[in-house]
Amino acid sequence: MKNEMTKSSIFAMIMADQKQKMLTKKKAIEDIVQDGIQFIAQFLPKAAYLYFPLLSAAAVWAIKRSKAWKEKILSWNVWADPSAVRVKSDEYVLNFFKKNPNLRTAFQKEIKTENITSLRRSFLSLYPIIGLEDPFLSALFYQEMEEKNYRKIVEKFNGRVTKAVQDIEALDEKPEFLEGLESIAKELALLTSDIATQKSVQKVLAEVIKKEMAKKNG
Amino acid sequence: MAEDFDKWTRIFLLLWLFPLILLSSCVSHLNDAKLYYIQAQEFSNSYNTEEAIASYKKSLEEIKKEVDRRPSSQAFMLKGLIELNLDQWEGAEQSFLMAFSYGFEKGQEWAEWSSLFGLASSLQEMGLESSASQIYEHLISKSKLRPLTILSAQKYTDIALKNVLGAEGKDREKRLAGLLRTVQNLSRKDLSCGYFHYLVSQVLSHLGEYRKCFDEAVMAKELGLPSEEILRDNDLQIVFCYERLKEKLPTAEWEAFQTLYMGWIERWNWSGPQTPAWKER
Repeated sequence: MKNEMTKSSIFAMIMADQKQKMLTKKKAIEDIVQDGIQFIAQFLPKAAYLYFPLLSAAAVWAIKRSKAWKEKILSWNVWADPSAVRVKSDEYVLNFFKKNPNLRTAFQKEIKTENITSLRRSFLSLYPIIGLEDPFLSALFYQEMEEKNYRKIVEKFNGRVTKAVQDIEALDEKPEFLEGLESIAKELALLTSDIATQKSVQKVLAEVIKKEMAKKNG
Repeated sequence: MAEDFDKWTRIFLLLWLFPLILLSSCVSHLNDAKLYYIQAQEFSNSYNTEEAIASYKKSLEEIKKEVDRRPSSQAFMLKGLIELNLDQWEGAEQSFLMAFSYGFEKGQEWAEWSSLFGLASSLQEMGLESSASQIYEHLISKSKLRPLTILSAQKYTDIALKNVLGAEGKDREKRLAGLLRTVQNLSRKDLSCGYFHYLVSQVLSHLGEYRKCFDEAVMAKELGLPSEEILRDNDLQIVFCYERLKEKLPTAEWEAFQTLYMGWIERWNWSGPQTPAWKER
C-alpha cells in the first residue's frame, strides 16, 4: 500500500511537472507569436490575413530545413502553380478525389459522373494544399480546411493567392523583414520542433494567433 | 622627429597598400564570384535549389563588380552563366555577346540559345504555344547548356501533355508515343539527371504503364529532384503507381512487386506504403 502511494505520488509529481513545462512552453510560444505579429504588422499593416500563413510557413520550414527557409518563404508562390499539376492524367486526378474520404464526400457528384473537367478545375487548387501540403497555402486556407469546406477553397483560391502574391512581393525589397522573420521562425522552431506533424504545428500556431488577434482587435 | 617618421611611414604604407588593396579587391571579386558559383553548382548538383539560388545571387553581385572594374571574356562568360541559372535570359544573352566581343568563341552560340529561350517564353506567355514548343524542341536537341536543356524539356513536356489532355484515340496515343521518345532520349543522354526520369515517369503515367512509371519515379527520387514540390509530387506519383498496380497486377506479380516496394519504402523511411516521410512532418 505504501509502495502504491509512493508510486502514485511520484506519478502525480511527474504529471504536475509536465503540465508546468507545457504551460511555460505555451506561454513562450504566445510571447514569440505576439512579437511576430507586431513585427509583421509593421511591414504589412493592412494584411492581417497573412500573419498566420507567414508565421506558420516560417516555423514549418525552419523546423524542416533551417538553411532553406528564407527562399521557401519567398518562393512559396511557385507551389500554387507547379506546372506538373496542370497536366496530370485524368486517372491521377480522379484517384486524388476518390482516395481522400473528405474529398470523396464533398465531390461525390462529380466523381460519380466522372466529370473530369470540373474535378480538374478543383484539383488545381486542392492538390497543392492537400496533396503536396504546401505550408503557406495550407495556412492561407486553414479556416476552410478546418471546416472541410473544399468548394470554398476552390472558389476563393485564385483571388486570395493573387492578393497574397502582390502583398508579399512588396517585401522582396525589404531584407530586414526576412531577417526579423528568421529570428522569430528560429525561436518558434526551437519550441515546436518536438511537435510531430506540420498539421500539429499549424494547429498550435492557429490557436495562439487567433487569441492574439482577438486581443489586438478588441 | 619620431612623429615625422611615423607620418612618412604611414603615407608610404598608404601609397603602397592602397593600390594593393584595390588590386586584391578586384581579384577577390572574380575569385569570390567563382567560389560562389562553384558552391551554387554543388548545391544544384545535390538538388538543393534554394541554396543554389542564394549562392548564384551572391555570385552575380560579385561578378557585376568585376565587369565594372575589369571587363574580360572570362568575367562576362561567368556573368552569363550565372544569369542563365537565375532565369535572366536577356541579361545572359547580353553577357555572352560581350564575352564573344572580348574573345570567347562560343559566346555567340550561347547568346543565340539564351535569346531563343527568351523568345519561346514570350511566345508561350502570348498564347502561341505551338511556335514556343518548336523552339523548345530545337533547344532540347541543340543546346549544350544544361540549365537551358532542362528548362526547355520542362516547358516542352508541359505543352505536349496539355495537348494530350485535349486529344483522343489514336491522336492521343501518337502524341504520347512521340513525347515519350523525346524525354527518353533526353534521359539516356544524361542518365544522372533525376528530373529527366521524373518527366519520363509523368508521360508513362498518362500511358497507364504504371510498372515502368514506378521504376522511373524511383530513379528520379534516388538521383534527386530540383525542388521540394517536385520531390513531393514524385513521391505521390510513386504512391499512385502502388495503388494502381495493387488493383491491376495478377496475384503472383503483385506479391513480387510488393516485396520490392516494401524494400524501397524502408530505405526511404516511410512509415507505410502510402505515407511518404514528409507526410509525417
